[in-house]
Amino acid sequence: MGKPEAPEILPGTLDLLILRTLVPGPMHGYGIAQRLRQVSDEVLQVGESSLYPALQRLLLNGWVKAAWGASENNRRARYYTLTAAGRKQLASERAEFARVVIAIEKVLKMA
Amino acid sequence: MSLPVHTRLLCACRRLAFRWRRAELDRDLAEEMDFHRALKAQAAGELSHIQMGNMTIAAEECRDMWGFLRLERLMQDIRYAARMFWRTPGFTAIAVLSLAVGIGGNAAMFTLVNTLLVRPLPYRQPDRLVRITGIFPRAAAPFFQQQSRTMDIAAVSPGSEFNLTGAGAASRIVASATSANAFSVLGAAVAMGRSFDPGEDSPGRDGVVILSNSLWRTKFGGDPAMIGRVIALNGMHRQIVGVMPPAFSYPSAQVQAWVPMRLDPSNFLEYWGGEFVPLVARLRAGATAAGAQREIRPLIDDFRKTFPYPMARDWNRDSTAVPLQRDLTGDIRGKLVILLCSVGLVLLIACANVASLLLSRATTRRKEIAVRAALGAVRSRIVRQLLTESVLLALAGAVLGILLGTGALTIFKSLLPSSTPGLAQAAIDWPIAAAVAGLAIVTGLAFGIAPALSASQIDLTQTIRTGSQRSTGAFWTRLRGGLIGAEVALTVVLVVSAGLLIKSLYTLSEVRPGFQAQQILTVRVSPNPSFCTQRPACIALYDRLLAGARGVSGVGEAAIANTVPLDAEQPDLAVDVEGHPKSVEHPAPMLWSGAVSAGFIGMLRIPLLAGRDLSEADGAKSAAVLLISASTAKRFWPGENPIGKHIKAANEQQWRTVVGVVGDVRQYSLSKARPDWIDGAIYMPYAQAVREDGQIPAAMTLLAKARANMDGPAREIRSLAQDQDPDVPVGPVQPLEELVAGSIANFRATIRVFISFAAAAILLAAIGIYGLISYWVTQRTYEIGLRVAIGATRRRIVSMILAQGLRVALYGIAAGVIVALAATRFLASLLYGVGATDPLTFAAVTALVLGVAVTASLFPAWRASRVDPIKFLRVD
Repeated sequence: MGKPEAPEILPGTLDLLILRTLVPGPMHGYGIAQRLRQVSDEVLQVGESSLYPALQRLLLNGWVKAAWGASENNRRARYYTLTAAGRKQLASERAEFARVVIAIEKVLKMA
Repeated sequence: MSLPVHTRLLCACRRLAFRWRRAELDRDLAEEMDFHRALKAQAAGELSHIQMGNMTIAAEECRDMWGFLRLERLMQDIRYAARMFWRTPGFTAIAVLSLAVGIGGNAAMFTLVNTLLVRPLPYRQPDRLVRITGIFPRAAAPFFQQQSRTMDIAAVSPGSEFNLTGAGAASRIVASATSANAFSVLGAAVAMGRSFDPGEDSPGRDGVVILSNSLWRTKFGGDPAMIGRVIALNGMHRQIVGVMPPAFSYPSAQVQAWVPMRLDPSNFLEYWGGEFVPLVARLRAGATAAGAQREIRPLIDDFRKTFPYPMARDWNRDSTAVPLQRDLTGDIRGKLVILLCSVGLVLLIACANVASLLLSRATTRRKEIAVRAALGAVRSRIVRQLLTESVLLALAGAVLGILLGTGALTIFKSLLPSSTPGLAQAAIDWPIAAAVAGLAIVTGLAFGIAPALSASQIDLTQTIRTGSQRSTGAFWTRLRGGLIGAEVALTVVLVVSAGLLIKSLYTLSEVRPGFQAQQILTVRVSPNPSFCTQRPACIALYDRLLAGARGVSGVGEAAIANTVPLDAEQPDLAVDVEGHPKSVEHPAPMLWSGAVSAGFIGMLRIPLLAGRDLSEADGAKSAAVLLISASTAKRFWPGENPIGKHIKAANEQQWRTVVGVVGDVRQYSLSKARPDWIDGAIYMPYAQAVREDGQIPAAMTLLAKARANMDGPAREIRSLAQDQDPDVPVGPVQPLEELVAGSIANFRATIRVFISFAAAAILLAAIGIYGLISYWVTQRTYEIGLRVAIGATRRRIVSMILAQGLRVALYGIAAGVIVALAATRFLASLLYGVGATDPLTFAAVTALVLGVAVTASLFPAWRASRVDPIKFLRVD
């Protein structure tokens, strides 16, 4: 089972990115994908085949909540909200990610 | 990704909740994705088909996430397996039943081995307990206790019969005499009351008794107020001071009470002679078993020098300290190991059989498996599915097996002496059930792995195109042949063992015991020994009984005897024999000594070979006479006329004259004329008889020969005996034939078990061979059709297939005979009158197994010969 757009995102970081995207406020799935693309200058392309399983995983772990609401164009859309546990998870994953990035940097920059 | 525990738990809870909201979740997801797609289409201005495909995968993945994926796949596998089994009930029944037989037998044997050999004795620090082998006079207990630096030593007698009076009807119980420190040495606490105090084994203070839990319950109603009550044992008053817990069964489960062993140096006979007793000991702190073993030899040497009479220099020379548990289970260890190996063999055979059944099923399911593989099932998934099936089979076998096992346990228990400590407590418990479940899973994997691998190794296109069952790898076919061959080999081993035992039983039943037991009733009457200190009182009692018994209607003859053949009594007497002076190297010979009334010899039809029989005239006042057995005459006076020679008990002055020689009787057991330490047998007239202690035997058996019907006389004889004296216990009335049969009941039971093992093995092997040959025929249908088409006759086809079956059987039999030749010598202790490698038995078993193999191959061969070539050549 191939995931064509997966290679553009480091494995395991998608959860982190989604959590971070939700910090300003609730968003629906399409919105999250759009936001990621915009913010990353079109580098991070998240396909639905990885986005929705990831959202389900976050729901299961209790890091986000989902509720139906009205969208910008007045259609029914499912909005995801960060929970307290999600914020905590975001903080710890961020710290961990930063640590790994610095480590990788060090390795790449070695003489 | 490792998550904290509470997150995982919450996760699991949500999943559980999701299970009930499946439909809702599905709808939500669909709508959400719809929305996503709509927005995307809007943005891109067109509908992307690639992305739609991804949508489906995404939905699948989400759904997987809601559930317990692994668990659900397992459930799916199990459901599927159950359906498969339901569709092939014959296969399922055979597989589950054969596994149940194997697993059930093993569950029962594990239980026994665990209870008797593995589980530590229920005493404090049981690994510090040892038995000092050999038996010793009472004097040894205080001597060893004072001299030993490594052990605390106690004497515990194996137990003898006592009359219990002062608590309901007089009864006969088994009590063990112990030194006062026995319970503290063993580290066993009383359940109620107290244990013996130090010094309670000295004369005058020994009027106390400790009851077993079972005696306390049955005879004293389980009343705690019984502590402190006084009862009489053999007429001596004793206060009940304690009750032991139910699990305490030392020295044997037969012992119902414990009394102090009186240590009285002034009572010469009791202190230095009489019944010798075993010693148990607890290693002192810091002492080692090796140290104790080194100490025993000099201790015995020192003790031997204190004897007031000369003891042979090699007395107890081999004595050493062995762990108590090993001592307790010494006799049954061998038997248990043999049984354990046998049930293990049955399980192996069952596994081989089921594996081979599964292998052939895997072949017939090739097409189904190929279709699954084509639909995208990976190999590991198929292997897992097939393993699930085999483990499920094994677990079903285990459940049924545990049920069978409880039954088997009762049977196995009956094979061991009921006095074995702890035997009564053996029951299949949770640890055993868990072990059995583990065994089932392991066997399930073991017999499932080969078929699963073979089945998953499929050339997809080939199989689907032709649906053929011809293309199995040669390796798996050979493996299957090997499995069946091994099965036949194991079967041969079991059947040979059963055959040897059956032959032993036959030989035993042909043994002439030297007497006729038909129509004879026996009943044990046991007055207190103190009642018989006045010899005339005892003689009068039995005269009355004899006269009464002869008056009972339907009774022809009546007699009394201190023991009847095979009743497990051992009336041994040390004697002086005329012309055979004693020395240190040749101590007094031990004789089996009967005390019988005139008419006993005639009643049992024991042949009189020379001289005269005892008569009513040989009374208390007349000249002392006795009869000897033929082998005794040969042993002491070979080539001489024994009539007129003299024998006397070692502790008396007056010689007794041999007046007659009678035939030998199997007194001790049917299989052995007499134990090694017994040199012969004598019969004294009851009125003149003596025991080791110089007294007249008190407990006697009344024998009555019924003319026709035994029931009426049996009732009357018992009430006659009971009417004599309320303080004299009377045992149950038993036909002598029952006693004789009872003496080999244990042996018969062992044989029955082996026969059932062998029968199960043969049946399984027959099924195995049948399955193998049928499968072989199915595989070669095309080839056979071709052969028939080009002119092979039916006979030729049949003989070709029979040869196939015979080849496997012959390999198996050859291997089995070799294994059996090596293995049956472990059976030697159970055999009688037949060698462990008896050629006749081996030949018969070979023929039997060959016959079974031919029969099992015959049906598929016959079917193959009916092959219609046109039909089968067209199929593929």
